[in-house]
Amino acid sequence: MAAFERQLSSAMKFFRSSLLAIALVLPTAAGAQRLDPVYVEDRFNQLQQSITMLTGQIEQLQYRNQQLQQQLEKMQADYEYRLDQMEKGRGGGPRPGGGAKAAAPAPSPAPPPSAAAGGNADQLYHDAMKKLQDGDNAGAERGFKAFLQSHSRHALAGNAQYWLGESYYARRNYQNAMTAFAEGYKTYKASPKGPDNLLKLGITLAVLGRKADACQVFAKFSQDYPRATDLQKRRVDQERRKNGCG
Amino acid sequence: MMRTFKAFAVIAAMIVMAACSNQQEAAAPATTTVTPGSVADFRQNVGDRVFFDTDMSVIREDGRQTLNRQAEWLKKYTQYQITIEGHCDERGTREYNFALGERRANAAKQYLVAQGIPAARIKTISFGKENPDPPGSDEAAWARNRRDVTALQ
Amino acid sequence: MMLPRRSTILGGAALAAGAAAVPARAQLTIDMTRPTFEPVPIAIVDFAGDRVGADIANVVRNDLQNSGLFRSLPPSSFIQRDVNASTPPRFPEWRQIGAAGVVVGQVGQAGGNIKVDFRLWDVVVGQQAAGLSFTSQPANWRRLAHIIADAIYKRVTGEEGYFDTRIAYVAESGPGNARVKRIAIMDQDGANNRYITDGRTLAVTPRFSPTLQEIVYMAFGENRSTPPRVYLQNVDSGRRELLGNFPGMSFAPRFSPDGTKVVMSIAADGRTNIYEMDVRGRAQRQLTNSSAIDTSPCFSNDGTQIVFNSDRGGSQQLYVMSASGGGERRISFGEGRYATPVWSPRGDWIAFTKISGGSFGIGVMRTDGGGERMLASGFLVEGPTWAPNGRVLAYFRQQPSSAGRTGAVTLHQVDITGRFERQIPTPTDASDPAWSPLIPQ
Repeated sequence: MAAFERQLSSAMKFFRSSLLAIALVLPTAAGAQRLDPVYVEDRFNQLQQSITMLTGQIEQLQYRNQQLQQQLEKMQADYEYRLDQMEKGRGGGPRPGGGAKAAAPAPSPAPPPSAAAGGNADQLYHDAMKKLQDGDNAGAERGFKAFLQSHSRHALAGNAQYWLGESYYARRNYQNAMTAFAEGYKTYKASPKGPDNLLKLGITLAVLGRKADACQVFAKFSQDYPRATDLQKRRVDQERRKNGCG
Repeated sequence: MMRTFKAFAVIAAMIVMAACSNQQEAAAPATTTVTPGSVADFRQNVGDRVFFDTDMSVIREDGRQTLNRQAEWLKKYTQYQITIEGHCDERGTREYNFALGERRANAAKQYLVAQGIPAARIKTISFGKENPDPPGSDEAAWARNRRDVTALQ
Repeated sequence: MMLPRRSTILGGAALAAGAAAVPARAQLTIDMTRPTFEPVPIAIVDFAGDRVGADIANVVRNDLQNSGLFRSLPPSSFIQRDVNASTPPRFPEWRQIGAAGVVVGQVGQAGGNIKVDFRLWDVVVGQQAAGLSFTSQPANWRRLAHIIADAIYKRVTGEEGYFDTRIAYVAESGPGNARVKRIAIMDQDGANNRYITDGRTLAVTPRFSPTLQEIVYMAFGENRSTPPRVYLQNVDSGRRELLGNFPGMSFAPRFSPDGTKVVMSIAADGRTNIYEMDVRGRAQRQLTNSSAIDTSPCFSNDGTQIVFNSDRGGSQQLYVMSASGGGERRISFGEGRYATPVWSPRGDWIAFTKISGGSFGIGVMRTDGGGERMLASGFLVEGPTWAPNGRVLAYFRQQPSSAGRTGAVTLHQVDITGRFERQIPTPTDASDPAWSPLIPQ
């Protein structure tokens, strides 16, 4: 792309100087108007603008192409996973974690989108998520609750339950946060957000002064989620120490 | 007391009329009081600046008229070298505007060269957005600031 | 809690006490990446032993408060008045006023120098969280205070501090059509302001070398028809020299992270390209060759890449290329124009100015162009610069001019989450901030 632009650029320079040379040498030749230096300058500028415009369009197209390619790879990975599951006789649910090798890591805490459910559910979820990121906690809570009511079995339901709890927690509504996290752990134990729900349940209990309960929850964590991330495990250890769990 | 006031009013009126007739004279090249071939002549009767659209460096039709007059004048008064100063409005970033001002100055230079003014007589410089004339933060001021100014040496 | 890099500075030595690692605690730690957090309430007691002790404590309070991550409790609210540096404070009395941490210090003499011991006590667990000792010339007491504030910041946030730094900027004065613009340097908190250029010619866009010994900037000549050029100036001696010998104007300079090179823009014949200049050997090399405007180059933190701003595609966008030129690729694809990219010293983000829909904004994106977030916006905000920890940015803000009155131009800082924004006070109008690395020790 850059090489293409460079070539064009030097070609244009050559073009301009040769045209100007012709124009200046033959000022009275037939069709002088065509070779008028001002006319040449104009034509040059127009061509320059066309190159600029084309450069911009090529960049945009390359970008879109790259995005489509990533999306395609993501979908392909999902199909392969589902086919694999069907062959093993386990039905064809979506691949947990969205599994996009090519996808860039998400900048926000938003989970990877699920390809299984309809656009409506996804939209509801993402709208609520957006509200949460924008600091509209009340709106986010309404959104997640609406999502959970109509799509309680959606792949993102565990995530929605978790973020509902987070939103309450951020507003220091610890009672509701506790209920939400507990619900998240109970109903969506196997969801990708299962460990987070349990961890946050413990932290919320500790904040509410129910240290014994919190310690029980933290103890449950290592039993239920032996394959949790190191970060989560470290956090649990930290919380256990902090709350003086035995 | 009353008489003094009247006298003042008459004098004031005369000053206003004189100012008006001066302006008319300045606008009519034939009766100008400035010396032909002087810097003042160039500024008043030729026009020392051309204006640009936002983020553009293409010479507009009104700018071409001005540059045509500049070229004619410069062919007549060959003792002058010129510096074309490129300027921008404040609606861009400082560094980019230095480059845009240079591009604007160069656009006018290319035009004058195409009109037959030797490139060796023309220098270019950019002031970016550092030198607003007039200063101001409305579209009217910005339109006046997106400019080339031809300075004589 | 040991800070080995800091422990030997200014001929000081780390205190042995409190060396045992103390586990992180919610109340005296803060995770800046969380969506919500409360500033940590901290009590900083006037340092004992010398009159300068109260001044040191004030500088520490000011630094921490201005970071937005701490709430410095007013000394009038302190209950325990007899606290000293050698014995633990009475924790219940500090808990009662809501402090999560208490900072106490002692100033002593050491052969013409001052020696400062300080300790940070974690009130919640009743333990020492940090303790250090420094020796320095008395005149450097402000730096000692900043270094102490950096140590507290690091202990509580887990991030490197940024208080022992300077900011170079353009001091502006005079009416809009005859503005005086001169380069100034001050401490990060506004102290020790001094002017580096005399203001006879317009000077803008200062940038520090990694050692802070030199700055590069663009200045006009005495003669109005002389093109502006990039100069290299020694900060202490004031000696300045022209950098490079280019036919057109040179501008937008910036040092490489190792200080051996300067990249800049050269404009000639309506084209603006990026060049690199070896600071010692003075060899120069062209890095881009387009017929458009390529400007505002900035090295990546590891020196292998350069991000810059080009309008080759019709509008200003951000591009990344190899530091030796070539492999150019566009990374910005949002709505609007993108300008003045600056690579974070940590390498994770690129900050930029964005012009969109008639207003200006300061934002960050990842180095591949993803994850764009806007942190500040206004009529005119421009020119982000990173604090050395890569978690705070400074930029400048200009108010609209009206009726012949030039709009105020001021420096501001914002943290990378965009939550906490404040004005950095300057003696005059100010633009083009350049945040220095940590002052070498």
